[in-house]
Formats: sequence, structure tokens, C-alpha cells
Amino acid sequence: MNSAISLQSISKFFNGLQAVKDFSLDVERGTIFGLLGPNGAGKTTLIKILTTLMRPTSGDAVIGGYSVLREGKSVRRIIGVVPQENNLDRYLTARENLVLHARMHGIRAGEYNPRIDRLLELTGLTGRQHDFPDTFSGGMQRRLVAIRALVHNPLVLFLDEPTTGLDPQSRRALWDYIQSLRTTMTIFLTTHYMDEADALCDRIVIMDHGKALVDGTAAQLKEAFAHAHVYELEFRANSDRYEEILRTLPFVAHFGRKGNRFRLELADEESLKPLMDRIGSADIKGICLHEPSLEDVFIGLTGKKVRE
Amino acid sequence: MFRGAISIWRRDMLVLRRSIVSELVSVIAYPLTLYLAFGVGLKGYISDVDGIPYAIFIAPGLISMTAVNAAFDESAWSMWFHRKVQRTIEEYRVTPITVYDIVIGKIFCGFSHGAIKGIAVALVIFLLTPFRFQLLHILTYLFFIFFGSMIFSCLGTICGTIIDKPENIGRMQGVVIVPLIFMSGIFFPLSSYPAAILPFINSLPTTAIFEGARRALLSGSIEYAYALTIAATAAIVFALAVIIFDRKIEE
Ligand SMILES: Nc1ncnc2c1ncn2[C@@H]1O[C@H](COP(=O)(O)OP(=O)(O)OP(=O)(O)O)[C@@H](O)[C@H]1O
Ligand SMILES: [Mg+2]
Repeated sequence: MNSAISLQSISKFFNGLQAVKDFSLDVERGTIFGLLGPNGAGKTTLIKILTTLMRPTSGDAVIGGYSVLREGKSVRRIIGVVPQENNLDRYLTARENLVLHARMHGIRAGEYNPRIDRLLELTGLTGRQHDFPDTFSGGMQRRLVAIRALVHNPLVLFLDEPTTGLDPQSRRALWDYIQSLRTTMTIFLTTHYMDEADALCDRIVIMDHGKALVDGTAAQLKEAFAHAHVYELEFRANSDRYEEILRTLPFVAHFGRKGNRFRLELADEESLKPLMDRIGSADIKGICLHEPSLEDVFIGLTGKKVRE
Repeated sequence: MFRGAISIWRRDMLVLRRSIVSELVSVIAYPLTLYLAFGVGLKGYISDVDGIPYAIFIAPGLISMTAVNAAFDESAWSMWFHRKVQRTIEEYRVTPITVYDIVIGKIFCGFSHGAIKGIAVALVIFLLTPFRFQLLHILTYLFFIFFGSMIFSCLGTICGTIIDKPENIGRMQGVVIVPLIFMSGIFFPLSSYPAAILPFINSLPTTAIFEGARRALLSGSIEYAYALTIAATAAIVFALAVIIFDRKIEE
């Protein structure tokens, strides 16, 4: 019972459409967990269920030992939530937004004021704390939403696309901050940035159509895709002649060309030797195994088609 | 207990305080115009009603109307705005408070708007009227303003909870709320109604609020049938508002 988040056969229907399909998952305490998937995969729906905003059609989830179905209030006491869309109160100043949140958590002023000061300082918002959020840039609003979720020091933090709309500096600053939280918190985030998932997450699940497709560390996912036998080949000269040869080889499943560079997909690992035998080594400038990126894994699993 | 409701109520009062002057000016302008036009401008053309000068006859209704309208407006629009536009309700709902905190907090915010604005209009009209009401009458009258604001705040909360399109909230006010208010005899005595439909009119909660309030202010008497109607209506709409919000928000 060491998991901070445990999903037990969660399903969610929206009149006919099944957004989440029998989803089970355990996230260990202290993990930064990344949920990836194309638009409409069901990420936000899952987060809404885990944060008690939505009831699952069937199944249950346990957060820090509390059931989202039966102990919603206890769940909400220990979670922090950054929703996909900013939901700041534009009639309250930045600081008042944070104070209201603290009060909802029943925290006393003596306790929340220094904490709010520190969070504002950390995100560079101290100077703007008495301004209204609709005078903020998108990135500043996003940072305010993020620190609002931290005012009460949650044990489990849910971040739905936390860095969307942030500039590279703010993005990295937020990554660093998320990293620094991992000692005390379990973090569940969704993102469309593969580099973010790669840099940040201890564990990644890629989901589509309401189901998990793969689960593992970034390295494991890439490894699993590495035996696609994709090679990058570069010639010094005579590229046109080699293109003719490659076209005739039965074990070259696919190839693409940009000038003197070729990208080959071989039928299997055993094909490398016959390939070298046929093209020789005279004109070869370089050959290397193509390292799949997380994005290759993502596209490979979920396809290239844009979702409606 | 009710920490969340109190926090939400305090938030709304803070926001109201920031714009109190413009809020009061805009909310007083309308009943004051009606009062001046009907009570003063048309004075010579309208005879006394049951021995009461017309300006005084309409004053309690105008005050009650301001209060209940303000309560309805605030509750309906605020609920809709926080639910659909700012989505602040979602932020409230991920903190350790209950949906009851949210809906009760919101109902009391609407109630407070109604009570504050009703009292403001009352002060202005009382200043303009030479007639002095007795303190006891005013206190019984407040009972009706408070319960009226409560009822309309609950109705507004229900509308703001179930109606997603803003234009439909406007329609609801035009087609249901305003006719209900005017039918209950702000500008004319109920005795103008044909005897056949009078029992129906008398059974309307709005009649209980407006006619009950008028009698309380003018004569200091509490009609127990009206008081009972109001208390029962308040209990029912309060329960309905809470139940409907609970259902709708859980999706
Ligand atoms: N309230 C709702 N009513 C009806 N359908 C919904 C509702 N919320 C989500 N859906 C549907 O459920 C599916 C999953 O949506 P969800 O918002 O969870 O996707 P997502 O993975 O967060 O996508 P994105 O990356 O675009 O944020 C979609 O097909 C969406 O249309
Ligand atoms: Mg989403």
C-alpha cells in the first residue's frame, strides 16, 4: 500500500462516448508521473475524476488512502490541482486569490501569509501581487494558478498541461520547481511536450481513446521502439547510383532521402550485413542507428492523423 | 462547519465593497424613477388607495422589488459567471469544502445583495416621503424583505445553476420574474382583481412577499397566512436550490 494514487478499473461515459476505458494504474509515492496522449485521449477526464470534480461511471480511485467516491473531502485536503484552463478570480487580486484558497483549506492567516510571500517571491510575482490577474500575461497567470495549488502544501499535485503557454525560461523554472517538490510530493502531470516528459517524468504512460498504450520510463519506452531497425546512412558521392541499388534490395522496407543522406528501415536486424555487402564501404561517410525520440514513440503508437 | 460558505460570502462582500457606490447608484435609479413618476408626477391623477396616498401605497412595493430583484440578479448571474465564465466553482470544488458550502455561500451572497440594496432604496424613499413610519412597522417590514430576498436568491441560484446560456437567464427574468412581481400588486391594490382569480393571486409567494410587506409597513400587522406561505416557500426553494446544485455540479 505504498502507492499515492491508485486507479481501479475507472470508466467514464459521456452519453454514449466512452472517454475512459477500464483504466487501472498505481503511482508510487514521490514519483513524477507523466500522462501523455493526443487531444481527446481522456487525460483531463481522468484528472477530473481523480480530483473529485467528476464521478466515474464505474470504478474507483484511491488518493493517499482515500477513495474519491466516498471520501472526497479528505482527498481534496491533500491534493493540489492546476487545471488545463486557468480559473483565476478576476475580481480578486493575485494575493487575494491565494488567500481565498488558503481560507478554503482552513489555514490561519499567521500560517498562510509567510507561505504566500515565499511562493510569490519564487515565481517573481511579488511586485504584482496587488494587481488583478486579467492584467497579467498568460504566463504570469499560469504561474499564479500553479502556486495557488501549492499554498496548502499538498501531498499529491495534479497538473493538467502546466507549462502550456509558458516561455522557455518559465518552463524550465517550473520544471526545476516541480523537481524540487518531488521529495515530499507525488506529481501527476499531463503534457504535450515530449521534451518535458523526457526531462521531468520518472514514469510515463501514453494513452489514447481512453486506454493506456505503454507504461515505463522514458528510456524504456525508447528502448522498446529502438528495434525498429532504422538507420541513418550518409554517402560521400554517387548517391543516385546507391539509390537505385537500395530500391532493388528486398530487405529494405522503406527509405527516404535528403541529398546524400538516407534514412533506411530494414526488415530485421539480420539485414544489416547483406546491406553492407551490397553497397560496400567505398563511398560511405557515416552510418548509425537512429535513436528514437519520445516523439517517435508517441507518433508510432498513436498514429499521424490529427484528432478532430 | 460552513468555513467554505463563509469564505465565499466574504469574497463576494469584498468584491461588493469595492464597487458599492456604482452598484447603489444603478440599483436605486430605477425604483426612484418609478417612485417619482408614479408617486409624484401622476399624483394629481391617481386617487388615494384605501385612504393611503398613492406615493406611500407604492413605496413598500418598490423597496421590496429592488431587494428581490437584486437578490435574484446577483445569485443568477454570479452563479452562472463563476460556473461558466471564470470556472471558479471548479477551483472551489477542489478544496476541502462541500457543494453545500458553495451553494449556501452563494445563496447568502444574493441575499446580502438584496438586503443591502433594498435597505438603501428604503432610506432614499423614506427621506423623500414626508410620511414617518413607525419603527416597529419597519422591523416587521424587514422580515418580509429578508425572506423575500432569500427566496429570490434561491430562485436565482437555481436559474444560474441550470441555465447555461446567458440570454436565457435574461428571458427567465423577463418572462417569469418581472410578471410575477408586477402581478402581486406593486402599483395597484389586489382588490382590483376579479374575485374569481383573487384566491390564485393570493396564493402566490410573490403576493405574500409584496402584499405582506406593504401591510407590515403601513399598518404593522403580520398576515399569518402570508408569513406561512413565505416561510414554506423559502424552505422549499432553499432545499431545491441545494439539491439542484448538488446534482448538476457532480455531472
Ligand atoms: N463534459 C463532457 N461532455 C461530453 N464529452 C466530453 C466531456 N468532457 C470530455 N468529453 C469527451 O471526452 C473525450 C476526452 O476528453 P479529454 O478532455 O479528457 O481529453 P484530453 O486528453 O484532455 O485532450 P486535450 O489534450 O485536448 O486536453 C473527448 O472525446 C471529449 O470530447
Ligand atoms: Mg485535456
